[in-house]
Amino acid sequence: MGFKKVLLLLTAVAGLSFSADKIVLKKPPASLDKYYPPASNKFEFLSNMHAMSTARTGITVNINEGNWEKALYWAKELKKIYVETSKMVPEWKDYFKPQLADNLIKAVESKNVDKVIEASRKFLQTCAKCHQDNELAVKLTYRFPSFEKIKIEDPVEFMEYETGKYMKAMTDSMKAMKIYLMQGEGDKAQEAGLNFVERARQLRTMCAKCHTNKLSEEVIVGKDYEEALAKLEELLSAEKPNKDDIFKTLGSITVSCTKCHNVHIMPAMVREAFGK
Amino acid sequence: MRLLPLLLSLLILSCEKLETVFIEEDLLERPPSKRCSDCHAQIFEEWKKSRHFHAWTSEQFRVESENYTKTKCLSCHAPHQVDPYKKPTLRVEFKEDGVSCVACHFKEETRAMHGPLKVWSPPHPSKQDFSYTKSNFCAGCHQETYKEWKLTKVEKTCQSCHMPSLGKRDLIQKFPFELFHLAKPRTSHEFPSLKAKPEDIKVELKGNKLILTNVGVPHNLPTADQGNPKLYVVAELEFEDGRRRTVRKLLSAQSKTALRYKEPKEIRLPKGNIVQAQVKIYRKLAWKKERELIKEVTLQTPSP
Repeated sequence: MGFKKVLLLLTAVAGLSFSADKIVLKKPPASLDKYYPPASNKFEFLSNMHAMSTARTGITVNINEGNWEKALYWAKELKKIYVETSKMVPEWKDYFKPQLADNLIKAVESKNVDKVIEASRKFLQTCAKCHQDNELAVKLTYRFPSFEKIKIEDPVEFMEYETGKYMKAMTDSMKAMKIYLMQGEGDKAQEAGLNFVERARQLRTMCAKCHTNKLSEEVIVGKDYEEALAKLEELLSAEKPNKDDIFKTLGSITVSCTKCHNVHIMPAMVREAFGK
Repeated sequence: MRLLPLLLSLLILSCEKLETVFIEEDLLERPPSKRCSDCHAQIFEEWKKSRHFHAWTSEQFRVESENYTKTKCLSCHAPHQVDPYKKPTLRVEFKEDGVSCVACHFKEETRAMHGPLKVWSPPHPSKQDFSYTKSNFCAGCHQETYKEWKLTKVEKTCQSCHMPSLGKRDLIQKFPFELFHLAKPRTSHEFPSLKAKPEDIKVELKGNKLILTNVGVPHNLPTADQGNPKLYVVAELEFEDGRRRTVRKLLSAQSKTALRYKEPKEIRLPKGNIVQAQVKIYRKLAWKKERELIKEVTLQTPSP
């Protein structure tokens, strides 16, 4: 019975993190940078989060089995990592209340389940508060690639562009193709369209910067994408390009754009807004 | 007195532990490549000119691996042990040595230096190993290029081109030990990133298509696993009505637009009657900024 109460409480507090009508994303402090790539590949801050989560579960598991000694070990372990973590990001030190970790230790020492529940609730609220304020922003900042540093060589101009500029050049050539087709200017549509095809093919080089195993590349810019680009090339080279067929083929190409954007564009926008 | 050398020889030959008398223990403890240069000075100097030497310290790699935090890239740039087909694990020590001497030649299983030659080497155990002459030795890291090469069904191995023969040479340059060794057939440890010859790329003009075929390099052109070497095709076109146009194409390993061996690649040209096309093909290596001209050709319709 006691264990169930502890478990319920812990779950409820963890679930509080994102139950809000409005989410405000705050730019993570610069002092956090040193615990994530490219400054470090050890993810020290995240590792501490995992270690605290494990310690917290250690308390619950052992209380459930009536093993108060081991529960006490984990409570002390939790406090140790909690204090260590509180010193890692000075801007966040006020989120931490080491006294509440001490209270949790005392509650476990008392072997009184109700006291543990109460001490846990208060202690975990300090975690929840920080998570609510920062977790989403931190994940978006550090767990997604930094597109602004990626440069792609434009296959039409032979110049290196940053991602945003490259995307603009590519979509501009696509839009120009559409406009010329709608205006009935086939030759100009062909030129703009072929430039679009080349730029769309070269996009793959951007994926390869991170996706070294090629599988995720295949999902997004794989066979279907390549075939659609080849078809577009073919249609554009006809004596009189068929607008409807071209637009239809364009539709199957943009499926890949959507797939990639669904994964990457929102974190990229957040990162850009933060100037990270 | 004349018996003394004979007696000494007999004494030495009778010693069961002779093999271990001259062992230099640190050579079996994965030393840095500089240590190998104590004897193999020439090979060391060749290797220092290679991309294998720069594999870890290259600024390009440091930037692309985001300051060595893209961990999945690291093991091929500082491998612990290179074996056929197997992706290596990351070496712990002397990472700055890149693809070092011990990475390729020292095997944990035998605690010996492996290589393609049969040698007598008192300072360290040596084992002749013919896997060093086969392309699959390179396949653990150069996976994509190996797959491309295999599709060509060409007999020439990676080593045939990228470890060219240097004829017979001394393996060691350390007095007086070099006097006890015969010269052996040696291959270059510079691992040259060869440049395609003009005749390796066939260029044809057929109507409004420019057709490029890699007829001489038995893997994609360009090729890479993670780097992105490029070919630049610039065609200056002259039309019957006097118009002139320039068409540019970028072919790269990562965009899957590289020239496959003996597989024609069509480049569509603008509409109109083309009377002449002046085509230039350049390459840019993944770690270089400069483009180098490979081929320049002027074509007329119909293609000569």
